[in-house]
Order: sequence, then C-alpha cells, then structure tokens
Amino acid sequence: MPENQNFNPEDGLQISTPRAGKVSKYKIEHFVAPLEETPLQAVDSVKETGKPLSMWAEAWRSLRKQPLFIISAILILAVIVVAAFPHLFTSIDPNGQNACQLENSNEPGRPGHFMGFNLQGCDVYARVIYGTRASLLVGVFTTLIVVIVGGALGALAGFYGGWIDAILARLGDIFFALPLILGAIIVMQLPAFREHRSVWTVIVTLAIFGWPQLARITRGAVIEARDADYVKASRALGLSRFKSLVKHVLPNSLAPIIVVATVNLGVYIVAEATLSFLGVGLPGEVMSWGNDISLAQQQLRSNPMMLMWPALFLSVTVLSFIMLGDAVRDALDPKARKGA
Amino acid sequence: MLSFMLKRIAQLIPVFIGATLLVYFLVFATPGNPIDALSGGKPMSDATRAALEAQYNLDKPFWVQYGLYLKNLVTFDLGTSFSGQEVSALLGRAFPVTARLAILALLIESVFGIIFGVIAGMRKGKWFDSTILVASLIVIAVPTFVLGFVLQFVVGVKLDLVKPTVSGAATWGELFLPALVLGLVSLAYVVRLTRTSVIENKSADFVRTATAKGLSRRRVITVHILRNSLIPVVTFLGADLGSLMGGAIVTEGIFNVPGVGHLLYQAIQKGETPTVVAVVGVLVIVFVVANLVVDMLYALLDPRIRYA
Amino acid sequence: MRYSHASKAVVLSAALALTLSACGGGSSDTASGDGDGSYVVTANTTEPQNGLLPANTNEVGGGRVMDLLFTGLVSYDAKGAPVNELAESIESKDSQNYTIKIKSGQTFSDGSPVTAASFVDAWNFGAAAKNAQLNSYFFESIKGYDKVSAEKSKEDKMEGLKVVDDTTFTVKLSQPESDFPLRLGYTAFMPLPEAAFKDPKAFGEKPVGNGPYKLTEWNHDVNLKMDINEKYDGPRKAANGGIDFKVYQSTDSAYSDLQSNNLDVLDQIPPGQLASYQDDLGENSVNSPYAGNATITIPSYLDHFKEDEEGKLRRAAISKAIDRQLIIDKVYQGGKSIAKDFTAPVLEGYSDDLPGSDVLEFNGDEAKKLWAEADKISKWDADKEFSVGYNVDGAGNKEFVEAVVNQLKNNLGIKATAQSFSSFKELRAKVTTYDMSGSFRTGWQADYPSLYNFLGPLFGTDAGSNDGKYSSKEFDEKLSEGLAATDPAEGAKIFNESQEILFKDMPVIPLWYQAVQGGWSTNVSNVEFGWNGVPIYNEITGK
Repeated sequence: MPENQNFNPEDGLQISTPRAGKVSKYKIEHFVAPLEETPLQAVDSVKETGKPLSMWAEAWRSLRKQPLFIISAILILAVIVVAAFPHLFTSIDPNGQNACQLENSNEPGRPGHFMGFNLQGCDVYARVIYGTRASLLVGVFTTLIVVIVGGALGALAGFYGGWIDAILARLGDIFFALPLILGAIIVMQLPAFREHRSVWTVIVTLAIFGWPQLARITRGAVIEARDADYVKASRALGLSRFKSLVKHVLPNSLAPIIVVATVNLGVYIVAEATLSFLGVGLPGEVMSWGNDISLAQQQLRSNPMMLMWPALFLSVTVLSFIMLGDAVRDALDPKARKGA
Repeated sequence: MLSFMLKRIAQLIPVFIGATLLVYFLVFATPGNPIDALSGGKPMSDATRAALEAQYNLDKPFWVQYGLYLKNLVTFDLGTSFSGQEVSALLGRAFPVTARLAILALLIESVFGIIFGVIAGMRKGKWFDSTILVASLIVIAVPTFVLGFVLQFVVGVKLDLVKPTVSGAATWGELFLPALVLGLVSLAYVVRLTRTSVIENKSADFVRTATAKGLSRRRVITVHILRNSLIPVVTFLGADLGSLMGGAIVTEGIFNVPGVGHLLYQAIQKGETPTVVAVVGVLVIVFVVANLVVDMLYALLDPRIRYA
Repeated sequence: MRYSHASKAVVLSAALALTLSACGGGSSDTASGDGDGSYVVTANTTEPQNGLLPANTNEVGGGRVMDLLFTGLVSYDAKGAPVNELAESIESKDSQNYTIKIKSGQTFSDGSPVTAASFVDAWNFGAAAKNAQLNSYFFESIKGYDKVSAEKSKEDKMEGLKVVDDTTFTVKLSQPESDFPLRLGYTAFMPLPEAAFKDPKAFGEKPVGNGPYKLTEWNHDVNLKMDINEKYDGPRKAANGGIDFKVYQSTDSAYSDLQSNNLDVLDQIPPGQLASYQDDLGENSVNSPYAGNATITIPSYLDHFKEDEEGKLRRAAISKAIDRQLIIDKVYQGGKSIAKDFTAPVLEGYSDDLPGSDVLEFNGDEAKKLWAEADKISKWDADKEFSVGYNVDGAGNKEFVEAVVNQLKNNLGIKATAQSFSSFKELRAKVTTYDMSGSFRTGWQADYPSLYNFLGPLFGTDAGSNDGKYSSKEFDEKLSEGLAATDPAEGAKIFNESQEILFKDMPVIPLWYQAVQGGWSTNVSNVEFGWNGVPIYNEITGK
C-alpha cells in the first residue's frame, strides 16, 4: 500500500483533532518563502501594493486578457445559444409532420436546405441545429460529473494512500472492467430510467462508467504533487492535511485533469451515439450529433457529407473546449504565465 | 517493495469476487430469457425449455446460480457456453489474440503519442502543434467505425497493401492496421497529456539548472523534461490497456479479429453468463496488475515517491 | 420456423443469426462443368451456435454446413421443388399414414450404412424431451410426439414411427397433413449414424454425415473446412474441390475481403454497400428473391386494434399509409419486392392477385379516410403515439422502421415513433409474454417450401409463433381443410382462400418479400442462389 514515508502516518489522524483545526486558521500567505533569496522571485513575488490576490483571482486576471480564451469563450457561447434556441436558426422542426420526406432521401444540398438530406429525407441542417442541445448537454454534464466524482475520489486516494486508496482504486478497477454495453443495457432497464429515457439518463450512464478513468489520472497527479516541497512547507507551517490537499496539491495537479476532461467531452458526445446504436441511448425523437454520425456510417460511400456536417460541429465544439482548457491551464501555472 | 506488491496481489481476491458477483448479477438482471435467444423466437416445447433451463441452472435463484459458479471456479471450471464449448477454451483462443492487439495498440499510442507530444509541447503554438491539434480533433469527432472502415477500404481494398481482414492466426503483422485504428483515440489523449506536461516542465527550475549546467538540448529534453512529464501519461496508458482489451468490439468487428471483444458482445446479447463473467474476470486482473505496474513506475519516474 | 434476422453491420455482428437454411439443393449437375473442379471455394458464414446435430441446428451459420454435411429423404432444387435424394418413394393414401422406402447401399462418410433405422432413431432422438433439441417441435405432427416431448419424459420412441425392414419405414401422423413430405428436406429430418447417439456432444463437434461434403476441420470462430465426401452419390455432387467457410463477425468485413479476392462467395451485401455493390462487382453479383417476408405485427391486445370493426379499419389504414415501393427504392436500393400476400413468391401455389390484396396498395388519401372512419367508432387521442418496435442488433431494422414511422406520421397525421430494443432477446421476451405497448417488426423465412409454413405457425389460434394473438375460427377451419387435402395443389388453393380472411383482419401488415444480394470473386463461376437465399455451394467451380 502506498504510504508516504516522509510523514508520520499518524499525522493523517489528526485532521479531525481540534488542535490541527486551530492551527490552520492562521493566515499563511505571507509566510510563503523568503522571496529575496529565491531565484524565482519574479514568478512568486507577492505584489506589495494592494491586497494579495488569491491564486484563482490571479488566474482570472491573466485569463481574460488571453486571445485563446476570448475566442474559445465566444465559440462556446455561440454553441450554447444554438442549443438553447434552435428554432432561431432554422424554420424546420425535424420532428414535425412532413419534416422527413423519403422522396428526398440522400438528395444533395439545394437552396433552403444547403446541407442536403439524410437517408430518411430529413433536412441535415435542421437536424444538426436541433442536435446541438442533446450533444452539448451530454458532453458538458458527463464531463462535469466525471471530473467532480472522479477527481474527488482520485484525489483522496492519491493523497491519503493506505486503505482509502486500496478501496477506491479497486472499486475503480471493478467499474473499469465492466463493459460499457452491459452496464448501459442494465442501467437503462432500471424502471426509473426505462420510463424516462432522456439526455439525463445517458449522462448518468456515461458518468457511472467514466469516473474511474479520471480518478486514476487525478490520483497519479496528486501522488506526484503530494511530496513536493511546497506541500511539505505548507504542512510544516501547520496547515491541516486536507487543507494542504485542497489549497496546494490539487491546484498543482490540474493540468492532466483538464487535458483528459476536455478530450473526454468530445469522446462522450460520440459515445452517446454508441448507446443509441445499441438501443439504450436517447429516445428516437431526440436528435444528437453522435446519433447522426453513427447513422451516416451506412451512407459513407453514397453520401459522405452526412457524416461531415455533424462531425464538423462536434469538432468545433470540442476544439473550443480544448482551447479553453489550455488557456485555463496556462493561467493557473505561474511558470507558464511568466513565460507568456 | 515486495510486501507492497504482495499486498496488492492479495487485493485481487476480493476485487475478483466483487467484480464477478456484480457482473453475474448484471447479466442475470438483463431483460429477456437466454432461452428465447437460443430458440431464435421459434416455437419451443415446454420440455425442451425446461431441460435447457436446468442444464444452465437458469431455473435456480440468483444466489444458488452464483454459488454454483464459484464452486466450479475453485476447480478451474469456468462453465460452458450455450454452444456447448468450455468457456476456458473460448477464452484461451480469444484472449491471446486480443492481448496482442491491445499491446500493439498500446505501443503505437505510447511511442507516437509521446514523440508527437514532446515536439508539440516544445514548439507550442507553432505549425506542428496546430496540425497535431487538428488531427486530434478529427480522431475524436469521427468514430472508430468510420475511421476503421475508411482505412480498411483505402489500405486493404484500393491500394491492396494488406489483406483487409485478419486471419485465424492473427499474427503481429496482420494486427498492425487494426491496432492503429484501436489506438487512435487514445493516441489523442497521450499527445495532449504529454504536450501539457512538457509545457509545464520546460520552464521548471530543474530544467533551467540542467540547461545552465551546459547539458545538451537532447539530454535536457529526454532526461529532465520527459522523465518528469511522464507520470500522467503512464497513468493514462496503464488504465488504457484494460480498456483496449475490453473495448475492441468495434475494431475487431471491422477487421474480423477473433478476439475477446466479439466474444463478450455476443455473450452479452445471448445472456451467456459464464462467458461474460469469465471475460470480465480476466479484465479485472489486467486492470489490477496494470495499476500495480503504473504505481511501480511512479517511484521509478519520481524518486520522491516511495512505497513502504 | 424462423424470423428473419440478418447479421448486424460493424459493431453488431449478429448476435443471433436466426435465418435458417434448408437444403440448398441444386439440379443434377455433376463435376462436368468447364471450370476447375479441384478449386477450394471460400465462403462466408457465422459461427454455428450449437454442436452440429440436425435437430439442434436452427440458425443460418450451422444450417448451411448441415445442408452440405447431410442429405435426407428429399432435397430442394433451386426453385424449392422437392427432389428425391435417399427416398425411393414416399407414399400415402390418406395424408396421414406414410410409407417411406429408401435407396439401398447408401453409407455415411465413415462407411456405416444408412438404413431406415438411421432415420427413425434420429427423429426419435430429436423429438425426445430428455435430449432438449431445439428443433424438436418439427416432429410434433408425428403420432406419439406428445408423449416423448412431455416434461421429464423418459420415453424416447414415438409410436408413429415403425421400421419395417432395412430400407422401409412407416410414419403415422396424429392428423392428416398433406404437406408433410415437403418438410422432409429440412435439416431436422436428416438421418444419423449409430455413433451419434452414444456421445451426441462429441458427435456435434466432429459430425459424420452422408451429404456431398464432410467436415474435416472446425476452428471455432475462425473457419470450417469441408472436403468432398467420396461416398456421396446423389443429385448434389460437388463441382469443386471443397468449401472453406470463413467465420465473419460482420458482413462489412466480409465484403472488404470479397473486393480484394480474399473471399470467393458472399451471401449478403452489407446495407452500406447496397448502393454501390453492382458497380463494385459488376457481373459477379446477384439480386435474387427467396422465400421470406417482412411484416409489422399489430397485436390484437392493443387498444384501438382489437379484432373488431375499428381495429380492422385502423389496420387497413396503416397498411395503406405505407408507400412500400418508395422505402424499397430508397432504403434498400430496390433490393426487395413489395408484398402482395402473407407468404412468399417462390412457393408452389403462390398468387400475386388474391381477392382483397388491394389493402396492401399505397393510397394516402384512402388511408386518412379509413383512419377517420375508425375515429368515429372510438376517438384516437391526438397525443397518443403509435410505436413500431425493432431490435437494434439486426442490420437495416432501424432504417426501415424509421421510414415507416415517418410515412405514418406524414400520411395519417398521427404521432408515431420507432421504439428500439437492445437485442432480439429483449424484444422477443416482451413479444412472447404479450407485453408490447405497440406494434413491432416481424419476419418469416420458410423452413420448407410450403404456403402452410407461412400461415399455420403464425396465424393459427394459439400457434407457436402467433405473436399478435390473432384468432379466427373461420381461418383455423380453412387451415385444417387445406392440410387434409390429398392433393398439394388443391391444398395450396384452400390456403390461398384462407389468406382472403387475413386480408380482411390484417393480423400483420405485410411489407415486402425478401431478396438476397450476393456477390462472388473473380476466382469462381457458376454461383447461384437457391429458393431460401443460400448459395448452391456444390455447383460453384473455380476458374
């Protein structure tokens, strides 16, 4: 069992004792380091004028000036608007009567229908626009749940080690080994899910089987960071273990979490298609990019554009989240900030 | 270190029992009767149905079924499939093939992923970095079945460079194309993880120190930056090995690889509990062992991390 | 009796390929063709789901191997007409008592003789409850079946079967059935050597048959190698040097192999290639109809669809609201033909203009009118959804069901949805417990070429595959009348009359007849497909 040699294991037990709590109440910002003596003064120096900013405020300050952040934020905003008000962007309701005319099957684009029609003769543009909502919800919320649950469990396992790690990591192993298909079929059969099949059931299913991956990544990053000098320093200054995890270890472990989470976002949007393909995904009348992409497979040779449009929208969305993630990561990393 | 490993391996026992119990229950709880699948929706006499249910213990309550399964397991009897074959034989045929496929995919994604990631990270914002970003987006947005199908069509059918499908022997050479397809999405993860770590570390103190000492750029990159950047990558790869094995259903279907993914999928559709449980049992072992190896590598990559 | 359930593309290689082949018998070609008679043909298959025992093989993967491995009393020619194989004669005066004489001097590939007992023992084995054979219900017409098939029955001999001498046996049925001889080419009725009964499980792995080929190698999930059986002397003599069946998980991968000459014969073009396969393969492709159909079953236990005036009107409206030809053209690229009755066109006695069949013709206006008339009897709530269920593990199901649903939406102005089920198993579990909340896709493929096979098991009251719980006294009486007819042609006429009742009640909505799209490589020639959609393997030659 991983056990940190540098700490007396009994330290961990003190988290809940009143003494540790009391000590941690002291403000510690100004104890950071004898700045004049470090070569990293330029990076770590605290601005003497004005109130010291928290790490997050500092990050936000540098973030909002970054072009990468501004572009990605605008793109994401645009996608959110499309998701929220699809009817502003197309006059066709893809679920309405006469929306799909088989006569138009696989017809190429023409005025009013510039993306053409799919196999069932439905307008591809209208489907892509109306598919934004489900896809965005699945991508964003699955990612959020996975980051919160997986991140928390992974951080606890990595930081405390011992039996907490053993239990959480092995639980992760079990969930990892469960085939998504089998799990999804079962979860979707639960009465609560079966009756109300929706975007949310898909999100929960994907999250149940997605959290161990992020827990692993977080655990690895936390193990790497927990023995760093600044953590030891914070402990030496009397910060409780939990607080040093939250204030020092986690912020320094964010980079791989952000990377995996942003890539996951796209992967989840596509994974929704797999569930739909297996008959346990979204109900038939809910449109999604993933669903349309998987349908396009059958027409790959006769009508490849059917694949291209939803894939393009998906790519742009994922791209904006990846850029956002990069920008946030840069903003949080004092070393990178200085170099920029 | 040894006791650390032994403890880990001892943990396999509860994990194995937990996983098999869970999976056994999940298959038990899937809707539909396996006998319906067996009969193919055709009429079946009540007597045949009863005899088959008895033969596969389907007429017994869940705990009895699972108990019988465990009892047989102790004597290394993994049960039989509906086709009357020993599950151990099914697994013995499929597992080595999938293991080869997964290891090859893992090699491809780690070698190319790390190389591309380092270059992209060292030249952040330059054309190579942007190209890699676009390529990653394509891999993420276009599902495996489309990429696999296109690659098979171009390389296998149009250019006729390799046979489009894998033979029963499933040699390393034949498995290269499927492994590439299988590893592509993971490759995107590895590239981005490596890139980010490299960016983070390239301005770290120890790198400046190394550069100041006059070490060559190559040595700085490979020994100082890379080694310190690998922990998230190794974590990801360790978790990915098992996923590659269990999740190769699509790729195996495209290239007709007689592996575990296909076996598992069919068994789930048919409700063939012993096969599903056996496959998942093996996967759990793979996950636990891979995780152990990853933890060992942590200590190797970062001397500050030690295990008592 | 089976549901058509084709293998799934890419992700979903058929969990259960439930189509079943009967004898792919061919005309009496011998190895005299101008092709290379020693060429070993490679062909696609799926892994047989059970050990290769005749009464336990009920799916296409095992079925096509069994057909080549065994030969029965009759086989079917390319058009589905029965041809005597081992039978010298099958005689009956009353359609209930049959005397069967077999040719003498026939042997299995291991040299043991084929006698009357080989048949009687094999049939008794297949029917007996203790052996739990999947096809046991095929013997239900034989007198004494009820005893041997009773639960926990130790009995294993049906009183209706009697060996007279080495080459003669008699069959007594529990009621007259004129199409009984037609069934005898089906896999379940093949003879077995004595060795089979000693250890059926071992025999299933290494079967010994009397057909044109013998099984020399079975590498599970990879391939089955079949060599010429030199001892076979019948109408289906092999014109090639053997067949190597390669197991494919998906037809897509098989198609790629076919295009690069890595596979010789493919009996199913994947849906994604239907638009281009004729360009890809040119003359080496075929589109030929076989004895199967696709239908939508609307169970009679659904509200508004009971067997009353309202239900009949609504069923007719739905039937008329579906533009079958358009779906065939757009979804199947013309690879089917529209249904004109409840059976299939390759069968003896089939007719495409039965009285009442105009209910299958598309007419949107009339459909609306019929629906409105039904509304007068009992109002269909505007928010109520009409759903069509399908299983996602069958290739092309989703596509055609969605097309049908859109047409119902557009032409009837009602809410309609496609309801997906994750597996055939799950769908059937709901269907067989009569627990469906809407209609669902069904299909039938002939086990043996007879109209009755499409009617009795599906629409007879409480019949084994009567999924919609249809029941009509009038129809049941017609069926019995048809079975009792001594002349098969007379029987077919009465069966067609029974269909006129079905057109009024519409227990299912017939959609189209099946056709097989197949292709072959440039290495082989003389590839033809039989009445059941299975290639006639023994006639294929190398180039």
